[in-house]
Amino acid sequence: MSEPIVLWGRESSANTQKVLWCLLELGIPFERRDVGGKFGGLDRPEFLAMNPNRRIPVIQDGSLTLWESHACVRYLAAKYGAGTIWPVDLAERAIVDQWTDWVATDYQNGWLDLFWAFVRTPPSKRDAARVADALNWTHRTLKVLDARLAESPYVGGPAFTYADIVSGISLFRLATMGIELPPVPNIDAWHQRLRQRAPFRQAVEINYDELIGREVS
Amino acid sequence: MKILGRKTSINVRKVLWLAAELGLDYEHEVWGRPDRDPNVAEFLALNPNAFVPVLIDGDFVLWESHAIMRYLVEREGRGPVPADIEARALMNQWLDWQGSDLSPSATYAVMARVRKIAGWDDPERIKQSLAGWTRHMNILENTLADGRPFIIGDGFTLADISIGLQVYRWTMIDGDVPEMPNSLAYLGRLLQRPAAAPWMMPATP
Ligand SMILES: N[C@@H](CCC(=O)N[C@@H](CS)C(=O)NCC(=O)O)C(=O)O
Ligand SMILES: N[C@@H](CCC(=O)N[C@@H](CS)C(=O)NCC(=O)O)C(=O)O
Repeated sequence: MSEPIVLWGRESSANTQKVLWCLLELGIPFERRDVGGKFGGLDRPEFLAMNPNRRIPVIQDGSLTLWESHACVRYLAAKYGAGTIWPVDLAERAIVDQWTDWVATDYQNGWLDLFWAFVRTPPSKRDAARVADALNWTHRTLKVLDARLAESPYVGGPAFTYADIVSGISLFRLATMGIELPPVPNIDAWHQRLRQRAPFRQAVEINYDELIGREVS
Repeated sequence: MKILGRKTSINVRKVLWLAAELGLDYEHEVWGRPDRDPNVAEFLALNPNAFVPVLIDGDFVLWESHAIMRYLVEREGRGPVPADIEARALMNQWLDWQGSDLSPSATYAVMARVRKIAGWDDPERIKQSLAGWTRHMNILENTLADGRPFIIGDGFTLADISIGLQVYRWTMIDGDVPEMPNSLAYLGRLLQRPAAAPWMMPATP
């Protein structure tokens, strides 16, 4: 037997939750090590040798050390999930890939920034203009996602794929952070579908009290 | 096959450079502000985000520059994507890093100090953007310090296209920036590729 995959990252980290959820969906053995946030450890030379960006998640699988949550998810899905969460057909997979990149370069810049500006920043230091910008961005991208989910039950198409993982980790926080969002009925229905998956509940519905009012990690 | 987008966009040039590497036949349609506003029904039907690039391949429509690049290589069955799954993972890691870290940190400074677009003139934001861009360039610089010719090692991959275009922009900054000798040598290697040079020109930084 080879060594189990190691996932480095605290479970309250949104980007780590993507990889955690993916590993649980694939049902492969792994060990998770707490680093980042209240656990610290990102400035240690051993960690910086794995990821010079001093960020989580990082995975180790045999001789491979990999960072960037989406690269980790794509790799795990391709290696262990071909035909399930990783479509084999090129055109189908390209669409999954497109939405995965959209999450990294557009969607996440809205809702994650809102989470920082509104939840992680103590009320006394909140910057109203930054909250408003993040909220606008979140509204715009939620509408794009809602329209997408009007045409297909999952983000990447007819079946659950890794595009649902990278986008779906937003749902618990969006629903609980105490900010009014526009009506997004298709996203709500998709959220209910995802909630039926045990790996979603286990990886994403994670209490984040430790992050409230804590700007520095 | 059609590629939509203006050449002044780095994300469009990624796809155009790759198309040249692969020797693809395609039609180029200029879209994107200020040349042609994508906020019109005809374009939004292709990409609801109103962003370029967009690829149209028969009935198939795809957006997001990195997704387009990966699709084209797999469609052709050849090109700068490693067959080995671990090497491919590292290529994707650096592609994601360009898209979600390096490029966003540089955006404000690119508008202010490279493309010199009116209205991008807040000194505090220029300073912040240059600081973030420099921090990411240092990570690139240290990664290349072991003498590897390309970002994941010996072979040229899609990640070199995305990062190379960004390093070219770094060399076009109007103002003093720290020296990055490894990154400049890397850019020099990329510029030797016949398919690369047209996409890194002073007129389209
Ligand atoms: N683009 C990176 C972003 C990684 C990132 O921002 N990670 C955060 C946690 S979500 C981090 O490392 N924060 C520092 C900490 O946890 O101490 C990815 O997708 O992996
Ligand atoms: N993540 C997207 C980003 C696309 C993007 O930001 N495109 C910019 C140009 S670089 C754009 O379309 N801007 C609006 C315009 O040109 O009108 C990608 O890589 O394709």
